[in-house]
Amino acid sequence: MVIAKIALPRRTFLRGVGATMALPLLDAMVPALRAATPAAHRFAPIYFGNGANMFEWTPATDGVGFELSPTLKPLEAFRDRTMVFTGLDNYPATDQGDVGGQHPRAAPAFMSCMHPKQTEGADVEAGTTIDQMIAEKICRDTKLSSLEVSVDRNDVVGACDHGYACAYMNSLSWKTPTTPLPMETNPRFVFERLFGVGATPEERLARVNEDRSILDGLTHQISKLNGRLGARDRTKLGEYLDAVRDLEQRIAKVESYNSDFSVPEQPVGVPPTFREYVELMFDLQVLAFQADITRVSTFMMCRENINRSYPEIGLPEAHHSMSHHGNNPEKMKNFAKLNTYHVETMTYFLKKLDSIQDGDGTLLDRTVVMYGGGMSDGNVHNNYSVPVVLLGGKDLHLKGNRHVKFPKGTPLANLMLGLMDRFGVNVEKFGDSTAEIDLLTI
Amino acid sequence: MKRRLIVLVAATSFVVAVAYNAPSAQQRPSISGDRGSRMGDAQSQHAVLAKYCITCHNQRVKTGGLALDALDLADLRNHTEEWEKVVRKVRTGAMPPVGRPRPDKPVAESLVTWLETELDRVAAEHVNPGRASLQRLNRTEYTNAVRDLLAVEINAASVLPADVAGHGFDNNADALTLSAALTERYLGAAAKISQMALGRPRGLPTPETVVVPSDSDQGARVSDDLPFGSRGGVAFRYYFPADGEYLFEMKPRETGVSGGFEGVTAEPHQIDVSLDNVKVWSGTIGGPEFAGGRVPGGAGAYVTDDRDKKVIESLQFRAPIKAGLHLVQVYFAAKTSAYLEDLFDRSLLREPYRKPNGQPNLSTVTITGPQQETAAASESASRRRVLTCTPASASDEPICAKKIISTLARRAYRRPVNDEDLQVLMASYRDGSNRGGFESGLEMAIRSILVSPDFLFRLESEPAGVAPITAYRISDLDLASRLSFFLWSSIPDDELMKEAEKKTLQKPEVLQQQVRRMLADSRSQALVDNFAGQWLHIRNVAGHQPSPEVLFHYDDNLRRAFEQETKLFFESIIRENRNVLDLLDADYTFLNERLAKHYGIPGVFGERFRRVPLASNSPRRGLLGKGSILMSTSYPNRTSPVIRGKWILENVFGAPPPPPPPNVPDLKDERDPRKVLPMREQLAAHRANPVCAGCHAQMDQLGFSLENFDGIGEWRDVYVSGARVDASGELPDGTKFNGPAELRQVLMKHSDEFLTTMTEKLLIYALGRGLEASDAPAVRRIKRDAIRENLRFESLIQGVVTSPQFRMKMAHGDTN
Repeated sequence: MVIAKIALPRRTFLRGVGATMALPLLDAMVPALRAATPAAHRFAPIYFGNGANMFEWTPATDGVGFELSPTLKPLEAFRDRTMVFTGLDNYPATDQGDVGGQHPRAAPAFMSCMHPKQTEGADVEAGTTIDQMIAEKICRDTKLSSLEVSVDRNDVVGACDHGYACAYMNSLSWKTPTTPLPMETNPRFVFERLFGVGATPEERLARVNEDRSILDGLTHQISKLNGRLGARDRTKLGEYLDAVRDLEQRIAKVESYNSDFSVPEQPVGVPPTFREYVELMFDLQVLAFQADITRVSTFMMCRENINRSYPEIGLPEAHHSMSHHGNNPEKMKNFAKLNTYHVETMTYFLKKLDSIQDGDGTLLDRTVVMYGGGMSDGNVHNNYSVPVVLLGGKDLHLKGNRHVKFPKGTPLANLMLGLMDRFGVNVEKFGDSTAEIDLLTI
Repeated sequence: MKRRLIVLVAATSFVVAVAYNAPSAQQRPSISGDRGSRMGDAQSQHAVLAKYCITCHNQRVKTGGLALDALDLADLRNHTEEWEKVVRKVRTGAMPPVGRPRPDKPVAESLVTWLETELDRVAAEHVNPGRASLQRLNRTEYTNAVRDLLAVEINAASVLPADVAGHGFDNNADALTLSAALTERYLGAAAKISQMALGRPRGLPTPETVVVPSDSDQGARVSDDLPFGSRGGVAFRYYFPADGEYLFEMKPRETGVSGGFEGVTAEPHQIDVSLDNVKVWSGTIGGPEFAGGRVPGGAGAYVTDDRDKKVIESLQFRAPIKAGLHLVQVYFAAKTSAYLEDLFDRSLLREPYRKPNGQPNLSTVTITGPQQETAAASESASRRRVLTCTPASASDEPICAKKIISTLARRAYRRPVNDEDLQVLMASYRDGSNRGGFESGLEMAIRSILVSPDFLFRLESEPAGVAPITAYRISDLDLASRLSFFLWSSIPDDELMKEAEKKTLQKPEVLQQQVRRMLADSRSQALVDNFAGQWLHIRNVAGHQPSPEVLFHYDDNLRRAFEQETKLFFESIIRENRNVLDLLDADYTFLNERLAKHYGIPGVFGERFRRVPLASNSPRRGLLGKGSILMSTSYPNRTSPVIRGKWILENVFGAPPPPPPPNVPDLKDERDPRKVLPMREQLAAHRANPVCAGCHAQMDQLGFSLENFDGIGEWRDVYVSGARVDASGELPDGTKFNGPAELRQVLMKHSDEFLTTMTEKLLIYALGRGLEASDAPAVRRIKRDAIRENLRFESLIQGVVTSPQFRMKMAHGDTN
């Protein structure tokens, strides 16, 4: 009963994640968007879980004009805006005596450089992530302080490690050391966050006014209740009050916003294939930058421990199980193929950003894209010399065409410090940092 | 604090009740209540500990962080956590470890029984209901509450994001956090729902699209909700928000490689749309004008022609529809050719991701409406539910509004409303009515209700004067809410509210009768969807993608059948109040033709699921014969004895293995059978490594016995490689078994562990929190009571509901 391998159509498995879906046509939309203020910079971290085949990822030569590795080959067109880093350790993600949790720790430690606390309760703790620190600095005047999106279901039963709250696996961004931010997976909800609800400016304004009225009453109600609750419950309700206040502030910003804002047609659901789904999420992030709705957008392109399979490129095995290739050459090749596919998929975002004029240059010039993960060799759950690439950011004087190698034991946090510096966030120390990597002189 | 004030029966009276309920005193003759003799027992048990445990678990070596010599057996109270650990480890035989001197079974049994009895006595004397955190309604509960409050059915996934789970369930209080993004969704959902409730949707209608998965087989009748003689299509329930004209657009399925629609030829195919079994439209796909097929263009592409456009345009229509929930049925008229096709082995014809049958198939149905100019609010279930009075004149409006709003708020907040509540809600009403009149005012009030913390959170009152960190009985109203969220995943109904308001719900006979009534109610389906759906991983079936290259007998029809079978199976345990061990070994299951064929069971025809008896040696008996579980414990392209074994350890034995150490190589798959060692030999390598062996010695062996089921639960005697399946296994204690039927016998021997697991899972789900050592006595009590009731499902539920964990709460201290 052996069947010959069949070439698979690109659009496979049209399956509703919710009951409703359809493909949007964001490409066809050319919204009349508010011009961003001059020299507004953006930050776009993109995360992939389960590590990579680092033999195929790490370029063979270093310095200026390095040789792109097989996995990074799709970046050729952006070579002069690409900086690859080797030798940066995400030490805080290591177990340090905890049991298990290699995957749940990797994502929160990546941008916080703090060791996530082992707990399955409400007392989750990692560190404030750099996207949030940068947002705090550069998104004061934008409608959204940041955007967090993902394409992986977060409600698969039994997908979180024992002893670790699901939040560790689901969230890449931490607003404070104890507040993981949820990542939105539904394109339609992302759209509504960006553009509001309603077909016309009048409808949207009416909706905003009604919401404001509702929120007024709500603030009052929550405050009254607080007096009647125990400390623990107060904290919980406090989250709600904070969220309500946050919305109130944003509503105030919406009002000062340009009201003849042409809103693109909203997507109605989740596209069927990984590629289309990811591209749609990229489209929405580009729109957010273009319309200056926010300047920080964090994207979990594949979460840790994910078991998505990719039959459309001839990889029927699950991602996580592929990452445990046991150093079998053939399986390692397959894993590298998947890593390459992800890089290639990501270039869609770069191309799109590069196609949009922003000030004197393109949106890509004003955006720093950070592509990487908190695990290096997925096969052994290693967090040393994690994969990380910076792309774009010409306007922030980021260099390109470089592969920079660091001595063993250099903390990833040093790069995070250097990155924050580029966005005007001045902190002396971050996580386990020992010094700042100066991105201007590198 | 003045609302929901209750007169607290002194906590001690409940203690007595608990002690009375605990049957252990009579059942276990070795224990007497007399302190002197207990001390004697303590001494003899101490000798057992000293002989077998304290060699490692002492203050000097502290293996596993445990020093038993430092603990006083005569007073377990302050170290219940450690002692519960001892109970668990010794009971499951995990301790003392293999290779060390182990006590004889009766000795170990006597130690554990003595400890349990003592721990239960301590728990009865010092009631500790455990910590309870404030719970937010999860998405399912929110949706159900909206249904029960307003008679509006919403598609949860289209308004709210999924919730994160904790301890295996998505109603876990600690995991249900709140963010600005979610609050924004709540605001949006409230706006949409309030408009739907009054049948006054505003703005341009948003198209809603229902997708038929591309791997569904549309060659025959696909649903029991579709007429006989139909082929393919889809049936779904859709809530039409208002009276008016709705636009329906159908899209046929495209072919995978070449584009264009499948099966559009000179032969016409009839496609019909019905609403609640009444045909509203009939159309045709294909016909003489489509003769000749598509014209291939250069480089393998096809020239776009206007055929596809013509097809699309012919598949849309508008129809006036009354507001409310309707069954939408879209289907083709079956032709004899569809049956002929069945004569061939489909697996040989099939494109891996699609199930072509030479005929057109359905891909999507999009409904848009009501078209603005036609929309009208008239009689509908939700308007009847909301509009409990009609203002005779403008001056009547505020009075009527107040009546309507109070009624809704009482149900939504699950308690009587007070002036303070009404002030906020009436302010919203006035705000809306000033803008758009009476009904706009009601809409705004409903929006206010739906985002109120009293609705979104399960706030519970604390009686005045209760001492900090003391257990107290929760109020009747709070008990009503706990019951309805546990059994229905929704708000209490009027009957339950009335009992709570009369303060009669705490009466044992009333409580018992209410639980019985609630279980019999159709809303207890929530236990199937949410409790079993998560415990048994039924919810994961929808997201599982077996690799079509290897498992080409798989299609969406099978996926749906898998879900349905396990749900119906669990539901039968509830509805028939069966012995819960039937979950492991029932002599029946539920099948339709598709699933019966998959299982190789003859004589089942048609799409309807029906109860099918299973012989005592049938591999399909019990949960471990169900495709839903066998598939979701497999990789997309192969089976995994490890994952299956782990599933059994977790969900049957209640002993989840710890995560594997790093640097463990993965197994090779079967795609190149020449190179690969048989699964068994690879796993033997794992078990040869002492680091792995501790867990894998059990996991793998349990999993092996299910190896006859492939990655989608189809029976196999040989692997793709040609090797025969060896389904034998052996547990560390020497128990041998071969194949699923013998595995079941092993599991039935461990029915006590299964019962503990199920009780724990139910309690976790009922309480919305993970369990702690202090909950173990309650678990044992529930089990003991259930055993006397022949393990009927209801007895477990009654046990949970009467546990101190469910009925009591710890008063918060200043810094809790």
